Amino acid sequence: MEFYLPIAEMSINPIGFLCLGIIVGILSGTFGVGGGFLMTPLLIFLGIPPTIAVASEANHIVGSSLSGTIGHLRRKAVDVRMGNVLLAGGILGSFLGIYIFNSLKEVGLVDLLITLSYFLFLTIIGSFMLYESLDSLGLLGHKKRTRFYHHSWIMGLPFKIRFKKSGLYISLIPPYLVGFFVGILSSIMGVGGGFIIIPAMIYILRMPTSVVVGTSLYQIIFITAFVTILHASTNHSVDIILALILLVGGAIGAQIGVKLSGKLNGAGLRMALAILVLIVGAIMASELIIQPENLINIISGSNFE
Amino acid sequence: MKNKLLIILFSVFILMGQMPPNIVIDENEKDIKIKPNIAGTEVVLYGVMPSGEKDIIIEIVGPARNIFLEEKKRIYGFWLGLGRANYYKVPSYYNILSSRQLKEIADQRAFDKLGLGLNNLPLGKAKITNSATQQIIFDDNLKKYMIERGQFVKGEGQVSVKSGPGKVGIFSTEFLLPSRSHQGKYFVRYYIFQNGEFISYAENKIDLKQAGFSRIIWLLSKNFPLLYGILAVILSGSLGWLISTIFRRLKIS
Repeated sequence: MEFYLPIAEMSINPIGFLCLGIIVGILSGTFGVGGGFLMTPLLIFLGIPPTIAVASEANHIVGSSLSGTIGHLRRKAVDVRMGNVLLAGGILGSFLGIYIFNSLKEVGLVDLLITLSYFLFLTIIGSFMLYESLDSLGLLGHKKRTRFYHHSWIMGLPFKIRFKKSGLYISLIPPYLVGFFVGILSSIMGVGGGFIIIPAMIYILRMPTSVVVGTSLYQIIFITAFVTILHASTNHSVDIILALILLVGGAIGAQIGVKLSGKLNGAGLRMALAILVLIVGAIMASELIIQPENLINIISGSNFE
Repeated sequence: MKNKLLIILFSVFILMGQMPPNIVIDENEKDIKIKPNIAGTEVVLYGVMPSGEKDIIIEIVGPARNIFLEEKKRIYGFWLGLGRANYYKVPSYYNILSSRQLKEIADQRAFDKLGLGLNNLPLGKAKITNSATQQIIFDDNLKKYMIERGQFVKGEGQVSVKSGPGKVGIFSTEFLLPSRSHQGKYFVRYYIFQNGEFISYAENKIDLKQAGFSRIIWLLSKNFPLLYGILAVILSGSLGWLISTIFRRLKIS
């Protein structure tokens, strides 16, 4: 069975991509991460052009994060006000991200930008996760956990407002900046940015963990929706068919993942995921360094014009 | 899965007098609609040609399109695709079918004179930027790529000729138009050879139209990008919502 992707202009095996969606969905359900940061590199490895992988993955995340947010909203585990502040920053950030993306696309450097961003972030996150999981397994010999407090300069910032759900009274500026930064990453990498925003909420904004995931997902819906529209209208690179196949697979996988997460050893799993993340990062980097098989490649040639 | 639909093209060659033979062909354009999400469409060509010790070569050239190539170069240890060769008039499809192996029909010089064959296929002048590579190298890569994708094909010896009543022969052949074929006019050129000499020529056209869902999506994304983006978001969002509803129902029941 073959399926034709109209924007990527290639025939794919839908079962294979459905399975890819399921596998990444299981990981995201188990670990509570969005999975975009694994999906986009995997799509690139499978031969989807990087620009299309990024834009279509953003489109996929719209659906998967909406599906996730509904559950959190029912449990009232979403700080909508905080989400909106993050979103306001995110929209500005995604404009900047798209601007950078399109400027580099014109000079042929956008693939480098995507690859390097992934290498950098996958390495950082992978190392952090590996450290954290080894620490929880008691392999590093730390007895006391370091505690994070609001730095005094964060407390001293103006424009303070009350975030009732999170029980915080802090300045608008830190969440706005976090949102801004994640917006840039979202448009360049085709990710929701949960892997940045969740640690930022916990360690910088000091939000209670009960609302962190829901709030993060809530703002990711809108950021990725915005990024999808920006990519579609400037690059024509959103492949809706690809996004929908991944969404169906991802939803099934996420349900399995949620079930699994209760039964498995958390720290050991996190260590496995950390190693996987590091491997994907290394493969991304190797594509830039190892001499490619073909020095001359087709980059575009539309079949529908 | 092969599209079993056979599209039959009828080209009639009528021999008018003994020598040199004139050819009259059916001038009507044929419309073909293909759906890009299936493997392809089988096209059958058949017609009448002068009989005797004659060979036929059929060349099919698809509509031109833009193709951009990039060349990877090593800069500071990284392989970056900085070189560009932009082609603006590359035939999207090329096929050469013949009644025998081409080298048995005539020698290469005869084909060169007629501009027949993949080697003589004009790819148009490429606009090369940021690269010292000559166009001929890009041309070779482009041809290799098109052959790999099944868009430049050869069917030597795949035309069968049977002698019909009187002084006519009936030729027939079939080939597969891949599902990714470009929409537009396909020129079908018929060359008749006798004893290594070219004796007559005829031409007709197939008008290929793409149908189906993929094409609609593509058109929407190019012509109404903003609307397409909004639609993509709505579709993804509603599918996400639907999925969460389905799973919630399943858990309750």
